Amino acid sequence: MEVNINKTDAVTTVRLIGRLDTPAAQEVSKALEPVMEDAAGTTVLDCTEMNYISSSGLRIFLTLRKAAASRGGKVIVRNISNDIRQVFMMTGFLNLFEIE
Amino acid sequence: MNMNERHLILHNNIQQIPQLAGFVEEIAEEKHLDTSMAMSLNLALEEAVTNVILYAYPEGSDGQVDIEAIIREDSLEFIISDSGKPFDPLSVPEADTSLDVDDRPIGGLGIYLVRSIMDTVAYERTDGKNILSMTKKI
Repeated sequence: MEVNINKTDAVTTVRLIGRLDTPAAQEVSKALEPVMEDAAGTTVLDCTEMNYISSSGLRIFLTLRKAAASRGGKVIVRNISNDIRQVFMMTGFLNLFEIE
Repeated sequence: MNMNERHLILHNNIQQIPQLAGFVEEIAEEKHLDTSMAMSLNLALEEAVTNVILYAYPEGSDGQVDIEAIIREDSLEFIISDSGKPFDPLSVPEADTSLDVDDRPIGGLGIYLVRSIMDTVAYERTDGKNILSMTKKI
């Protein structure tokens, strides 16, 4: 899994590329620590090239969402595939995130 | 009945989880399953096996997870067994997926996904082993 973080004044965009399975989630979680601390603005999780997610990946999304909520920021999930949308639906995540 | 079996043995090291994807892919090819079904099966297997890898054995000790797939005409059965401490994952309370962001606990989704994806899930403790069997119609 590859993570690219791009920060401008107003928006932090995180591109997640590949499979966000349990071992990948351990790495991604570390890579996103600065983003979590800076969650007062807008964070975009760009999932265009993410083709799999398991509960450990969902946990990262939720942790970021909570960090943003407590700091007055927002999280946008961009371009999830239909299969991942199914996982979001099953787990109620569709209601927790702004999806575009 | 026409039946076929496949077997995968993993150690309790989380880095071995990606092997499940290849295991499911072979089954998907054999049964001509679409990518959505393959992804769901991969996810259910990952969640069940991750539970074993993270919690069944004392930290630092070597343990094994056996994954057996029984491939039938119109269904798949996965039997996941380990010799770790007794633990029934189905005893974990169901995650409440209707809660708002402030009230949503961070964990508890793994076994919820297993239950959501599979048609049946059953646990038994036999001969010192945890055995989780799950089936899916295909």
